[in-house]
Amino acid sequence: MRNNLVALLIFAALAASPLVIGSYWTGQLTAYLVYGLLAISLSLVWGYGGILCFGQAMFFGIGGYIMAVLTKGMILPDLTSSYIGLLAAMAGAALFALALGYFLFAGRGISGAYLAIITLAITLVLERLMNNWYALGGYNGLLNVPPIKLTFFGASFELWDRLPTFYAVLGVVTVVYFGTSLLLKSAYGLKLTASRTHPDRLSSLGYSVLSIRLSVFALSAAIAGLAGAIFVTLDGFASPTLIGFTLSTEVLIWVAIGGKEMLLAAFLGAILTRTAESWLSEIFGNYWILILGLTFMVSVVLLPKGLLATPLEWLTKGKGKRSG
Amino acid sequence: MLDIHKLSAGYGEAMVLHDISCRIDPGQVTALMGRNGMGKTTLLKTIMGLIKARSGQIIFNGAPIEKQPTHLISRAGLGYVPQGREIFSDFTVAENLHLSQLGHNTGAVLPLEKIYDWFPILKERSEQRAGTFSGGQQQILAIARALIGKPSMLLLDEPTEGIQPSIVHEIGLQLRRIARETGLGILIVEQNVDMVRTLAEEVFFMENGAIQERCDIAALRQDDSLLHRYLSV
Amino acid sequence: MNELFPIILDVSSYILILVLVALGLMIVFGMMGVINMAHGELFMIGAYVMVALQDVGLPFWAGILLAPVIVGFLGLLIEAALIRHIYLRPLDTILATWGLSIALKQLVVLTFGPESQSVTLPVDGSLEIGAFSYPLYRLILMASSVLLIGATFWLFTRTDFGLMARAVIARPATAATLGIDTRRMYRWSFVIGTALAGLAGALVAPIISVDPQMGLGYLVPGFLSILVGGAGPLAGVLVGGAVVGGVNNLLAVWISPVAAMITVYVIAILIIRLKPEGIMGGRRAK
Repeated sequence: MRNNLVALLIFAALAASPLVIGSYWTGQLTAYLVYGLLAISLSLVWGYGGILCFGQAMFFGIGGYIMAVLTKGMILPDLTSSYIGLLAAMAGAALFALALGYFLFAGRGISGAYLAIITLAITLVLERLMNNWYALGGYNGLLNVPPIKLTFFGASFELWDRLPTFYAVLGVVTVVYFGTSLLLKSAYGLKLTASRTHPDRLSSLGYSVLSIRLSVFALSAAIAGLAGAIFVTLDGFASPTLIGFTLSTEVLIWVAIGGKEMLLAAFLGAILTRTAESWLSEIFGNYWILILGLTFMVSVVLLPKGLLATPLEWLTKGKGKRSG
Repeated sequence: MLDIHKLSAGYGEAMVLHDISCRIDPGQVTALMGRNGMGKTTLLKTIMGLIKARSGQIIFNGAPIEKQPTHLISRAGLGYVPQGREIFSDFTVAENLHLSQLGHNTGAVLPLEKIYDWFPILKERSEQRAGTFSGGQQQILAIARALIGKPSMLLLDEPTEGIQPSIVHEIGLQLRRIARETGLGILIVEQNVDMVRTLAEEVFFMENGAIQERCDIAALRQDDSLLHRYLSV
Repeated sequence: MNELFPIILDVSSYILILVLVALGLMIVFGMMGVINMAHGELFMIGAYVMVALQDVGLPFWAGILLAPVIVGFLGLLIEAALIRHIYLRPLDTILATWGLSIALKQLVVLTFGPESQSVTLPVDGSLEIGAFSYPLYRLILMASSVLLIGATFWLFTRTDFGLMARAVIARPATAATLGIDTRRMYRWSFVIGTALAGLAGALVAPIISVDPQMGLGYLVPGFLSILVGGAGPLAGVLVGGAVVGGVNNLLAVWISPVAAMITVYVIAILIIRLKPEGIMGGRRAK
């Protein structure tokens, strides 16, 4: 319960922040929220599902490209609904994850370090592919992606201005965060934990470890795809960097610094690291990346649960009640 | 020489040894008996530093060793023959023996001739790959490997497991001869009563992570009620 | 024939460099189960040692001697300060060394700038036999790589150090009970692995453009070579390196670099998935 309370407070603070931080930073924060969504997706699959994915951006990128292609009317010029775009982005990313997951996990599946290397290789391949897929813009990507158009009961509204866009994105993130939290507290969450810690025991109880792994991989991909789809509408373009190696490793760093085994910590890890980056990269210049790399390294060694998860756990569970 | 005082150890959260205490004098051959899962192997592994002691002390030749890394415990004079022998099956017999010499390069090692004198089969087959050996031959190699470092005490974990009875007896006699010849102390975990009767001078009975009873071998020969109490299922 | 021969030589020299990089990775991975994501940066630093020495006017061959020493010493520091603390957490070693690789890359950017640098060839001539001509340095590079690979194999299969190393790989706990200091073996294997990377970077520096991002281009193919070949016997690296490097370079010449990269990665992923123990067998994925 306290867990939800802390999360609610944080989301309330985020909702109030445009009053304080002004228009420019509201725009920045909107993008950070989307990165936070990507971080939630990685925390789900890695921290809870035990699948170390070094290429989480591939789902983000797939979602982004699907959204761009559909809403630009490149396939069906009459069907450019944002809703369909968002749904297709999620479904497309999830289907790709299902196919990839089946290939990776079925039978004598791949796990651990091998999985990290392979997902890293796949994301490099996809980035190279998108750089050379000229029908989808190649290296330059797709420009002029329209903003999201919300329609209800005939009335329609384009997310063009910063403030409405911020609240719409915050709404989506809030729903996804609490939805995922609820799911993780259900019986499914229990099975997920078991599939990570005691896969043999779980399968001897008659559950299919493969289908649990596939489901969490696909769900995480759908969230990442949703994040990618929203992201391309913010800046108005989709480019190969969305699908690539750099973003994949960045999200890994945010989640590791925040805390992979705690959705809220991972989410805040993304937002705070990005915020810190905007401020500190001005102060420290080129030293910022050096500091980030070293912070990441030190936090992995000394605080494997995450830099934010440790104090957050203390807040949410209270002193002395911490287990394990 | 080996003095264990209130030792507790285990795997992760699960404790296997509870405040165990015992003492083994120099040159003494002691058997450790008990049913499976009572902590015998855990005790040997904790002595060797393969499992970290949670509390308590292990004094070997006057020095505490419970916080030492395994290789220093070995060099301090504790030889170890693990359960399942764990010889390096891709290496030749000579390489297996040489490896142990390398591990003890700081102290004097036993000359190979001595080893070959005790176990002639190792000399005959020194260039053979150890993985092609029978279980008994592998056991002999594992014992020889541990003896190279000139240990003052040898820990053996179920050396007769899965080995033909004829070789079991031979190994028992040879170990007894070596112990008498060199003053080597032995702590042997064993289920095989014949082996214990051939080799041991004293028997500890272990149950639930502690030593419950001890008796000398002569007493055990006359009365085997202890065996029934601690070994039968 | 005269057209094919230089291509075969180019492919072979790429394969040899790849094998050198992969060999260092493999020693560290096979020995300790540590995935060193900063290995590519150590390779890169080896090349930058050559840049730095060229700037201060030291001869090329001094760099070839110094690069492995400097990078090996860096490896010693990394082992003592970082790797030692996370031996028992193999997945965390991926992340921690990844952080290290970012830091090292940025350190090089701060010192040498982000732009690419070049190292002058120490020998300029070419070998000419009839109509066939090939740059002399590339031949020296190939010969040195073959020697280095041979020396590494010799070290691990024919020496006392190698016997202990193989024992620690096969049964670390048992090796320790025989008096072998496993931590010390880990440390020196790590140093050897990093020194190899540094030397490979130094050797290859004159024929590539040296820039802070060059590590990744060797790290991933290096890993794929290990996984394709099999992380057990050292010979696996040769097979894996030949498959990954060979397919990549031949397709790059015949089709295009992009198609080559995509094809070789996909082939490698398929092999790793279908035969996780690698072509030559060995340690199964953990």
